[in-house]
Order: sequence, then structure tokens, then C-alpha cells
Amino acid sequence: MSIEIRNLSKQFGSFSALRDVSLEVKSGELLALLGPSGSGKTTLLRVIAGLEAADTGQVLFQGEDATDQHVRERQVGFVFQHYALFRNMTIFENVAFGLRVRPKRFRPSAAEIRQRVHELLKLVQLDWLADRYPHQLSGGQRQRIALARALAVEPKILLLDEPFGALDAKVRKELRSWLRRLHDEMHITSVFVTHDQEEALEVADRIVVMNEGRIEQIGTPDEVYEHPASPFVYKFLGKVNLFHGRLHRGRAWIGGIEIDAPEHTEAEELSAVAYVRPHDIHVDKVGNALNGEGTIAAHVAHILSIGPVVRLELMRDDGKDKELIEVEISRERFRELQLTRGDQVFIKPSRFDLFPAQIH
Amino acid sequence: MTAIALPLPVTSGRVRPVEESAWMRRSLIGLALAFLTLFLFVPLISVFYEALRKGWDVYIAAITEPDAVSAIQLTLTAAAIAVPLNLVFGVAAAWAVAKFEFRGKNLLVTLIDLPFSVSPVVSGLIYVLIFGLQGWLGPWLAEHDIKIIFAVPGIVLATLFVTVPFIARELIPLMQSQGAEEEEAAVVLGANGWQIFFRVTLPNIKWGLLYGVILCNARAMGEFGAVSVVSGHIRGSTNTLPLHVEILYNEYNFAAAFAVASLLALLALITLALKTIVESKTGEKPVTTGIQE
Repeated sequence: MSIEIRNLSKQFGSFSALRDVSLEVKSGELLALLGPSGSGKTTLLRVIAGLEAADTGQVLFQGEDATDQHVRERQVGFVFQHYALFRNMTIFENVAFGLRVRPKRFRPSAAEIRQRVHELLKLVQLDWLADRYPHQLSGGQRQRIALARALAVEPKILLLDEPFGALDAKVRKELRSWLRRLHDEMHITSVFVTHDQEEALEVADRIVVMNEGRIEQIGTPDEVYEHPASPFVYKFLGKVNLFHGRLHRGRAWIGGIEIDAPEHTEAEELSAVAYVRPHDIHVDKVGNALNGEGTIAAHVAHILSIGPVVRLELMRDDGKDKELIEVEISRERFRELQLTRGDQVFIKPSRFDLFPAQIH
Repeated sequence: MTAIALPLPVTSGRVRPVEESAWMRRSLIGLALAFLTLFLFVPLISVFYEALRKGWDVYIAAITEPDAVSAIQLTLTAAAIAVPLNLVFGVAAAWAVAKFEFRGKNLLVTLIDLPFSVSPVVSGLIYVLIFGLQGWLGPWLAEHDIKIIFAVPGIVLATLFVTVPFIARELIPLMQSQGAEEEEAAVVLGANGWQIFFRVTLPNIKWGLLYGVILCNARAMGEFGAVSVVSGHIRGSTNTLPLHVEILYNEYNFAAAFAVASLLALLALITLALKTIVESKTGEKPVTTGIQE
């Protein structure tokens, strides 16, 4: 079932949780709402579920207005960050709850319920825990039970609020690839909230990056990572280096390098910032090795060489931008250059995005 | 003897730096026990001793004479009305305070505590000022021949007032710590309000609720001050057990006074035992400890 969100706004006192948010979730897709805390992502999820009412705007399911529909009638599955399992019920009863509370006419028979619950417990691979209580389970197990419970009512939409947020790193990794596989099998329209960019990039079909109640960018993991639409998205998704400079009529001067900036032809003497990923920087020991064009001189301040990628932290020699520049090069390249701490190097961004400097 | 004057570490070979010495511990425990014995245990024993001093027959006669029976009945009636009403109110108030945000929430919490902070005599007087003959509603009530003060309704009202905080106070922190997530999970799964209450909320608070009910009941049966003001002390009609004890005592009828008092003491002991059982239950179950795992 597709979801359409039209111009949602929501205030909590003087705090704007959502500001005119519009969004479309395609049927069967797994969408991530990504953003820092306070960006409105959880509020948006709760508005979709019906647990929260927006001040203005609409929520449509499959083209039908569901804004005024009660949570009960929305047929959504919701998975809470802290599981919210019913502590007084066994795991079996937890999963059966959604079926047992149905009006008599729609309630399956006891045998059907038993069969359905065991199917679901098998699906989450925890059939053997049916008679335990939630507090006897580990965090990862509890979250899988919470998912089974949400799926028991055959929801049209699955909503997950930071589903792996309370778990430790290893379990989190396992569960998210498991969730991806599960989604590929079931194809239920799913929206999950996360503040973990790695999680969003790894699991989601599309990512919605949110900041301060607004949507910054919507796109596939590849799109938002490779072509961030704003400085915020750049900073939020992965590491990034900032080079300050100047922008004038389609040309930019960044740290002694002059480059074309065709999308900024109308700019007149603007100060600008180039955002460069650590792996998009060329490093060499000799300045003119980089096609003779302008380069930035720097010193190696720190080397971190674990795994296939070597991370260098460089200090610029010209004294601009006090922050260290982070560069990632392959181990092969690192061996070639034979770098040690204190060496002088010359760098040149190979790929970057220019944004006019933000005025604060 | 001189041992007391010796430096402390000598008595116990090793002294762990964070613990008091054995001597200190024993003295403190001894002091506490002595205090409890003197001020709690001895009076309790003496109540039963005095009650039975003139023999079993006198004891039975004292608690079965009509006035005593009527006092017992009235006490039970007042508790039977006050406790269920406060149960409903306490759960509703705790639910509202713990699960919703609304204007005047702090005021509600303060009001719930009011009976704790006001002297019971004053709360009794408030009812006299409202419902008494010279009170605001007095003339109107007299016209319609409704008796509240110096009658059973007044006693129920006074009991109700002083016992308001017990259940709500017990439940508010408990429900606050449990949050509303389970209820939200239930409503998303399609449960209606009653199903949520009876299947999710109530099981989660049942031990806390029972604890509150026990304390509320003990207070309802034992209340003296507020009830004394509104009762009028009419024998066989508006006397509760505590008031009956006072009357008998003032008449130098000590054996009877202590016999009736022993009933209240017995009630206290039963309450204490129930309380301990419930406490141990709440300790076992993660349900009402307020801490989620």
C-alpha cells in the first residue's frame, strides 16, 4: 500500500517538529527516515501511524485520506524502539494479542490463532521461546518478537521507530540484514526511522534525510551519498572536508585552485565552501605531479592504517582552515607514497560540491 | 566496661574501611530494637492483655453488645463505600497524570495530596461548614430532610476525604515509570479502550493497586479525627469503631474499650501481613518495581 503525505506540520509548544513535510512512499518499498534527534523523523512516523495528530496536512493510504482515521483502523504495524512488549504476557500471548482483541466476527478461532502465532514465531526464528516472558529475552530477541507481533495483524504498512537503536553494535548489524531479507520476502510497505546513516544506507530502498522538521533530500542511498543536495546532508552522511573559498561568475577559487563551477554562473563575489569526501582527494609528494595545476600544500599530522583503507590527517601549510583534512587512500597508494608523519604532501580535491557559504 | 573505651579495631581483627565496626553495628541495632519494643511492641501486647484481663466472656460480651456491633457495621460500611470509590478515582487520576499531558496537572497532583497535609479535624470541620445546619447547604438540606452531618453520609464523606491520596499516590509513580508505550502498542494492534485497560494496564499495576487498597482500607477503618467531628457520637447509630473505643474509655469501661481496640489492632496486624505479602510479590515481579528490566 502506498503512502502519501501532504504538507504536514506539527508544533509541540514553541517547537516545530514538522514544517510542511510532503512525501510519497511507494507500495512495497523500504524507506528510511534519517536525521539527527529532534529532526522530526519520529514525529512523522507517529503521524503516519495515527499515534500523533498533525496540526495541518494530510496522510493518504493508497490514495485515500486517512488523516482522521483512528490508529485502530489504520491497519499499520508499529515496532517501538524499546520493544513495548506486554510484560505480563508470554511471548505467545504477545504475538496473539492483535488477533485476540478483534471483534468476535473477525476473530480467528483458537486453533487458527495458535497456528498463525507459531508461523510468525518461526518466521522470526524464535518458536522455542513461546512460553517465556519478555524480561527473559535478550534485546535482539525482544525486537524480533515485537516485529512478529506487529506482523500478526497482517498490516498494510509496517512502521519501525529506531528498531535497532537500543541494541549493541553486533546484534544491530545482524538484525538489519535480517530485516532487509525479510522485507524482500514479504514486500510490505515499510518506513523505518534511524539516526544511523550506515543503517539507512545499507537497508533502505530510498532515504529521506530530515533536519529541523524539514526534508533535506529524498533519494536512493547512492544518490544521497554521492550527490548530497545540501551541506547538511553532506555532513550527516559520512565524513566530509570543508574548503573555504570564493565564487564568481561560474569560477571558484578554493585554496589556491581555480575551478569551473558551471551551476553558479550567476554568483557575484560570493564566499563559498567546497565539500569534499575523504576518498575524493588526490595526494602526492610532489606538487606538479598533479597535472601542474594548483595544489594545496600540507603536512601529515596523523596516519591511521588499519584495513584496506589508510586514513591520513593533514594540516594545511597556508594556515587557512585550522581543522585537519581527512584523506582516505588505498593501502597500495599508501605504500607507493611511503608516507610517514611530518612529511610534506600536496593535495587536490578530485570531486566536490560547492555551496555558497552559510550566513550565520 | 573498659572494653568500650578501647580503640575500635581491636575487637574485630580486620576492619573494612567502609563498614562500621561490629560494636557500632550491634549498638545501633540494639537501640532500634529497644525503641521499637518500648514504643510499638509493648503497647500492642498491652492492648490484647488489657482486653483479655477480665476473661474471655467479658471480651466476647464487649464486642458483641449492640452498640459495638453497630460500630463495627458502620466502620465496615464506610470502608466498603470509601475504598471502591477511591479505587476508581485513584486509577483514573493516576492514569490521567501518568499517561497524558494537560493543563492543571500539577494542581491535580497537589490536590490529591491535600488530605495528607490537612489535619483530619480540619477536613471534618470543612464538611460541617458546608453541610451542617449553619453551613452553606445546611438550610437547603434541612428543607429537603436530608441529613449528612451527624449521620452516616457525613461519616462516609469524611472517610472518603482522608483516604483520597492512598491509591492515586501509589499508582502515579508506578504508571509514570511504565510509560505509555505498551498502551500505544495495544491500540496500534487494534485494541479498544477497555481491552487496553483490562489486558495491558491493569495487569501491570495490579500489585501496586492492591497495596494502595490495603493502605486505604486500613486508614478508612482507623480514621478518628475527621469522622469524630462529623459523627456527633450517637451510640448505635453514628459511632465507628475508633469513636466507640473513645467513648468506652471515657466512661472508665477499660475492659470493653481495650476489647474493641483489640479489633482495630488486629486489623492493623492483618494489614501489615497483607502488605508484606504484596511487597514480596512486587519485589519478585518486574511488573511493579517500576524499572523496566
